[in-house]
Parts: sequence; C-alpha cells; structure tokens
Amino acid sequence: MNQAADNVNDMYQRRGFAVPVARGFVTVALSTLALLVACLVFAPSSVSPGALAGSLPFAAIIAIVGLGQLLVVQQGGFDLSVAGGVSLAVVIAAHYPDGDNARLLPAVLLAAGCALAAGLTNGILVGFVRLNAIIATIGVNALLYGAVFAVSGGVPRITTTLLAEIAGGATFDVPNSVYFALAALAIASFILKNTVIGRRFEAIGANPAAARAVGLNVRFHQMMAYVYSQLLCCMAGVLLAGITREPTAFQGDSLLLPSVAVVVLGSTSLLGGRGFPVSTVIAAFFLNQLSQFALAIGVPYSAQTIIQALALGFGIGVYSVQWTRNTKRRVTK
Amino acid sequence: MKASLKYALSIAALTLASSTSAALADTPSWCGPKKATIALLDGFGGNSWRQVTTAAGKQEAEKCPSITKYEYADGQGNTQKAISDIKGFAAKGVDALVVFGDAGPAVLPALQSAFKAGKVVVPYRVDVGGKDGETYTKFVGASFVDDGVSWGNWIKGVLPNGGNLLFLSGPAGNSQGLDELKGLKSVLDDKYKFINTAPFDVTNWDPSRTQQVLTAEIAKNPKIDVIVSDFGPSLVGALPEFKKFNRSVPALATSDGNSLGCFWTNNNKDNPDFKLFTVATGNDNVRLAVDWAVASATGGKLPSETVFKAPTFEDSVSGKPSPVQCRADLPGAIYLSSGVSADDQAKAVSK
Repeated sequence: MNQAADNVNDMYQRRGFAVPVARGFVTVALSTLALLVACLVFAPSSVSPGALAGSLPFAAIIAIVGLGQLLVVQQGGFDLSVAGGVSLAVVIAAHYPDGDNARLLPAVLLAAGCALAAGLTNGILVGFVRLNAIIATIGVNALLYGAVFAVSGGVPRITTTLLAEIAGGATFDVPNSVYFALAALAIASFILKNTVIGRRFEAIGANPAAARAVGLNVRFHQMMAYVYSQLLCCMAGVLLAGITREPTAFQGDSLLLPSVAVVVLGSTSLLGGRGFPVSTVIAAFFLNQLSQFALAIGVPYSAQTIIQALALGFGIGVYSVQWTRNTKRRVTK
Repeated sequence: MKASLKYALSIAALTLASSTSAALADTPSWCGPKKATIALLDGFGGNSWRQVTTAAGKQEAEKCPSITKYEYADGQGNTQKAISDIKGFAAKGVDALVVFGDAGPAVLPALQSAFKAGKVVVPYRVDVGGKDGETYTKFVGASFVDDGVSWGNWIKGVLPNGGNLLFLSGPAGNSQGLDELKGLKSVLDDKYKFINTAPFDVTNWDPSRTQQVLTAEIAKNPKIDVIVSDFGPSLVGALPEFKKFNRSVPALATSDGNSLGCFWTNNNKDNPDFKLFTVATGNDNVRLAVDWAVASATGGKLPSETVFKAPTFEDSVSGKPSPVQCRADLPGAIYLSSGVSADDQAKAVSK
C-alpha cells in the first residue's frame, strides 16, 4: 500500500514539472546505453545494421505484449493468458487465409474479435466476479489454447505473402513491426497521460478504494485493462505470424515471461498504479539486445541464459535499492 | 448336369484359391495370423511432422489384416500425460504399444510395467534408456549419425577446398544433434571449420529463435559457406535474413519439407550460392517400429532392420536421387519424401 500511496504522491508532484522524468526511465535508459556500449566493444556485429534489422522485429513484439501487460499490472493484476492470446492470433492469421491474401483482412478482424472476447472474459472474471487475476487468466489461457487446437489442430501453416511483406518487411530501412510497436506506444502513452479516461485509469490503479470513493467506475476500468492487453497480444500475434512466415501453433509460449520482465524493468510497480510505457518499450529493446549480445559473443547456450538472468536480476535489484533508500528517507522525515 | 456342377465347383475353388493366395501375397511377412490391437502413443503431436508420421503409422498398420484396431494418443508435450497414456492403454487391453518417447527415460518405468504385463512395447526414434527384451520388446532407433555422414559427403562435393560451416540443431544437448555432429566430423577434416558455438547453435527448432540465432551468426561471420540444419522447414522464415545483409543464401544441407523446396525454387535464381541437399525427414521411421510391434504381437516374421536410416532425398546440384521438389498447390507443412502420398498428407495436416 505504501507503494501505491507513493504512486499517488508521484502523480501530484508530477504537475509541478513541465517534462517529468521518472527515475525508472533514467535507470532503464542508462542500462540500455551501457549495453549498447558493451555491444560495440565486445560484439560489434550485434549492432550492425543487418543484425538490428533482423532482431528489432522481435524487440517490437516483446514491446507490444509488454505494453499490454503494463496496463494490466497498473491495475494490480497479471495477464497470464498472453501466451494463449498471441498463439491464437498467430494460428488465426496463418490458418484462416490459408495463403490467400484476400482473406487476410477478415482473418485479422476475426483474431481481433477473439481477443476482444478473451479480454472481456478475463476482465469480467477479475473486475466483476472478483476472481484472483492469476487464477482467472490461467483459466482463460487454457481456453485460448483449446481454441488454438480447434483452429489449427496444433499444426502450423505458412502465412500469406501479404502478411509476410507487411510484418516482415521494412520501410526506410526500419522493420515495419517497429512502426507498429511505436504506434502502440504512442497511443498508449497519449491516452494514459493526456486523456481523462487515462488519468482515471492510473488513479484507479494507484488506489482503487480512493477512486471508488470519488465515484470512479473502478470495475469497468479494471475490466478494460484485460481487454487492452488481449488486443495488444492479438496485434503481436498477427505480426509474429508474418515475421516468422512458418510459425508454430505455440509461438506465444516464449513471450509470457518477457512480457512481465519488461514491465518490471520499466519500473512499473507490480502493486499497480503509475505506468511507464516508454520505459517498458526501452526495456523490451534492452532485453532483446541482451539476447543478441549473448548470441553474438558466442558463449555456450548455458552462459547465454545465465547472462540474461543476471541482467534481469540486476535490473530488478536496482529498483530494490532505491526502495530501501526511500523507506529510510521516509523514516527520518 | 453332374459334370457341369463339378465344373462350376472347380472353377469356384480355383477362384477362391487364387484370391486367397493373392491376399497372402499382399500381406507383408511381418504380419502374422494372430489377431491383435495396436496403439501409437505420441509424446507430442502438435506439428505437421507428427501428423504425417501418425498417418504413416496408421497406413502401415492397415497393411496387416490381423490388426483389428489402431488407436492413437497425443501426450501434448506433457510427460505426466505421456506416462498415463502408456499405462492407460496397457490397462485397456491394447496388445501392442508403439511409443514416441519424447520425454526420454522419464517414460521408461511406464514402458517397463506395460512390458511386464505382457504387452508388446516398441519405443522408437528417441532414446529412452533400458534394454531390448528386459524393459521393452525392441527399441527402433534412427541413425542420425548417417544423416551427418550424408551431409558431410555432400559438403565435400560442393566445397572440396573446405569452408565455414554453421550447424543448427534443436534444444541444448539433444542427442539427435550430437549424433549428427559425430557423423559430420567423421567425414569432414580440419579444412571445414564449424563457426557455431560448440556443439551446435541452439534453436529449439523454433522458427522465431532460429531467426534470431541466424541473424546473430550472419552479422558475426562475414563468410558462411554452408548451413547444416536438422530441421529444414524451420529455416524458411530465417533465410531471408541474408537479404538484409545483401548476401546470397549459402549452400544448405538439411532435412526436407515442401515449404523449403518451394523456397529454394522461388529464390535460387537470386541467390547464386544457394545449393540445397536434403535427407528424408524420417516420417517413415514409424513404419519400421509398427512392423516390429505387429510382428511381435501377431506372430509374424520380425523385420531384419532395427535402425531406420533416412535415405537422401533432394540434391539441387546432381539432381539425384531427386531434384528439389515443390508442390506449390499443397500446404508447405508436408514432406514429399514421406511414403504417405502428398495428397493424403495434405488431408492429414488440414484436418
């Protein structure tokens, strides 16, 4: 609760600054810069234009699912159905058109419809039925995997050429998926920080009881967080289907952990409240670049995994240290 | 009247005799007279390779009229379920179990208890430990070392003066990749340099990870002469990375898949170095396992082979045993090297 109260304090203090800079942003930005320097020194190939063109699409995917997870975490919840949501979008985008470009748009709309339904189910279970978010979303994840099997029989199919071109292509030498991620970031940031609905959303996350007391519709906003999350998962899934061209039916599995990791690295409190979309997206780039770095320096697979784990531990540790300092300050006041 | 009746009867007898002998000739030697039921227990059924394999297993079992029932269960990559499938089918009274033991030695106790209960148990392709005749009836392996040897010989042909090799396999430490490497190294000398991390670059056979790994390797290595991969189709999304570096796709030694064949057909003109060599992806491994299981359960003649050797399939350089094949009208996720016809595979994977 202290953390939540802190977040509310932050929100009020924020009004005094023209350009607010969150401390988490500084940390993640500095870490990313340090990583880029390390890449330049130890593994210059990992920051060559070709390598970036190849790896940025995956950073974009992590960023998009991370933004979805961020919105849910802001409401003090968790969306563990990210894996199912992404996988379902992947198989719908690949199976329904079956190679026919003309059927791509209906497929994307169908995927979005499914995401809406999944998000509403999550949201109603958590927001209105008051189920624990972890339990509700694990259940919905199982349902989504049921749908993945129903659509695909567990069998991947090759995506249409149009989707491969849109999601896997590049404009002005920047992978298209990066534009999608930046667009998602711009929309999320603008709505969160500059609209009434976004401000209410953050206030509710920081302190639901106070928000209810001032007459905000807490449950509705909590429900919508899950809807946004699933819609972003759907976007990530459709892009992923195009980027990998021949995706598996379980392509979302490897995204659940990174989606939470980037939210934490982006310094958003797991207790809810203020969210940091820009930091989250930078963290996604950081996480992806870190794995490219590990691949490029050519260490064994075991060491690659350890490097990533250490970096994550370090990232989370940095925030822990700050928390301790704040506590002390509060005590001395 | 009597004479004509005799005549008719003898014709009828002759027809019957000839049709019986025809039926006998069609019945393979491994199919004995005893009636039996068989189940194929998959550790993980969630990809097209497994579906085609399942179809091949069913087709093989159907060749034997003594098999009265063929059943299938998918372990869904869940070791617990795979174990309970084995126990459940044994308890249900199925006579022969053909098991794809993805979980490795974890399924061994279940296999052993089914074997001790008098069932015919034939694990195949994945080494589960244990011994023939003690923990199961017969283990039918695949010779991945031979795949490595086939690739190595082809590489020697296209790169007689040596070169840089990039070897990609599945999860870290998987025995298939290690065996293939053994085969490769038995043929290739020091002129051929492996530029991947030892023993192979880990892709988990996942297309998105393959893409990330390949991106890093292309960026790091200005010269890659040949890529060796034990799951060709997972490269289809990754090979276009070479274009981002303005480089030609190099020679590729791998296993077959329709999507890969079509990728080569569409891209070999723009990529002068893109030569392709494939070994059959091994869907027919299951047939040998089914033969063993059916022979043991029905009292047929045991097959002489105990290890499945994947034949070489496509070679874009010599065109032998086959030039690169592409059926653009059929799904990419089928395997033209399989004994199951392409159209039947298309049906199996489009269910």
